[in-house]
Amino acid sequence: MPLRKIAVTARRSLRSNRLLQIGAVLVFWLIGEGLARVTGWPIPGGIFGMVILLSLLASGAFSQASVRRGANWFVAEMLLFFIPAVLAVLDHHEFLGVVGLKVLAIIVSSTALVMGVTAVVVEFGFRVVCSAKEDSHGVE
Amino acid sequence: MVWNSSIFQALFWSVATIAFYQMGKGLHVRLRQWWSTPMLIAPISLVCLAIVLHESYRDYIRQTHWLVALLGPATVAFAVPVWEQRALIRRHWAVLLAGAAAGSATAMGSVWVLSAAFGLSDSLRLSMMPRSISTPFAMTVSAQIGGIPDLTAIFVIVTGVLGATLGEALVQVLPLRSGLARGALFGMGAHGVGVARALGIGREEGSVAGLVMVLVGVANVLAAPVLAYLL
Repeated sequence: MPLRKIAVTARRSLRSNRLLQIGAVLVFWLIGEGLARVTGWPIPGGIFGMVILLSLLASGAFSQASVRRGANWFVAEMLLFFIPAVLAVLDHHEFLGVVGLKVLAIIVSSTALVMGVTAVVVEFGFRVVCSAKEDSHGVE
Repeated sequence: MVWNSSIFQALFWSVATIAFYQMGKGLHVRLRQWWSTPMLIAPISLVCLAIVLHESYRDYIRQTHWLVALLGPATVAFAVPVWEQRALIRRHWAVLLAGAAAGSATAMGSVWVLSAAFGLSDSLRLSMMPRSISTPFAMTVSAQIGGIPDLTAIFVIVTGVLGATLGEALVQVLPLRSGLARGALFGMGAHGVGVARALGIGREEGSVAGLVMVLVGVANVLAAPVLAYLL
């Protein structure tokens, strides 16, 4: 009985405490990192962790209420985690000149192209799927 | 000396990074301009501070690497928004996959052509090709196809910062009716930074962007050996 009581208390506090949920996300990440290392696949541990958490959510073994607030915190503050990497430019003075401008021009034009193509393909597919749905409804 | 102790250094640079980020966030809420994003303000302030204090990148990243490592759990966290949008994703997964494939091909192809047009070196070109994929994937792909992973990491970040801003302008111009297309645009074009920006537009856009980012990353890592063979 006391074991069950502990489990119930643990679940209740996990649902109400964002800090504990952040800890839970960290645990999934560590498990993912471990799996990535053990399997040796070139897939980041975070992806393994995400797949584990998704399958737990899908199987109902883990409720969304137990991670939602912690996960939302990570997603909301994600930009912060990119900032230190930007300082790598300190080591690359070659980008301060013409080469840097060329690289910048390529990145901007290529990214605009990528975004345009992706959005148009997805929008087109979305409309095809939606009109197919409407047609089948019309027949019924 | 207190200044030279490694604990103090780690604390100083971590706090400085977080403080500039928070400042940038506060400023962005007030100004709402494309240049007032914390992704421009924080790095520029930090670069200035590092130059003034004669801090090298190698020393700086040793103190703040734990922040970058948190991108791992942030990836795990995307399970929640993806789960929330499962109905949408189940219905449109094929469309998203097609968008990711078209986007990846465009990313690699356009860099290949433009680098040749601008006369860039082969190592720069190969390092720039995987720049539309999120960092850990991009560095893996870069190493496989013969690029320099360190350089790729820089290009990925620049792509994210510029792409997120560019994406906001494109979303206004392109006649996109679906949140699906808006989300895919950010997730494919500007990975992590774009996903964060897409979440600011809407929950649907954000989770689609997150999903597309992960899809693109996995697909490209799987495709890298083939690509390495072709190059």
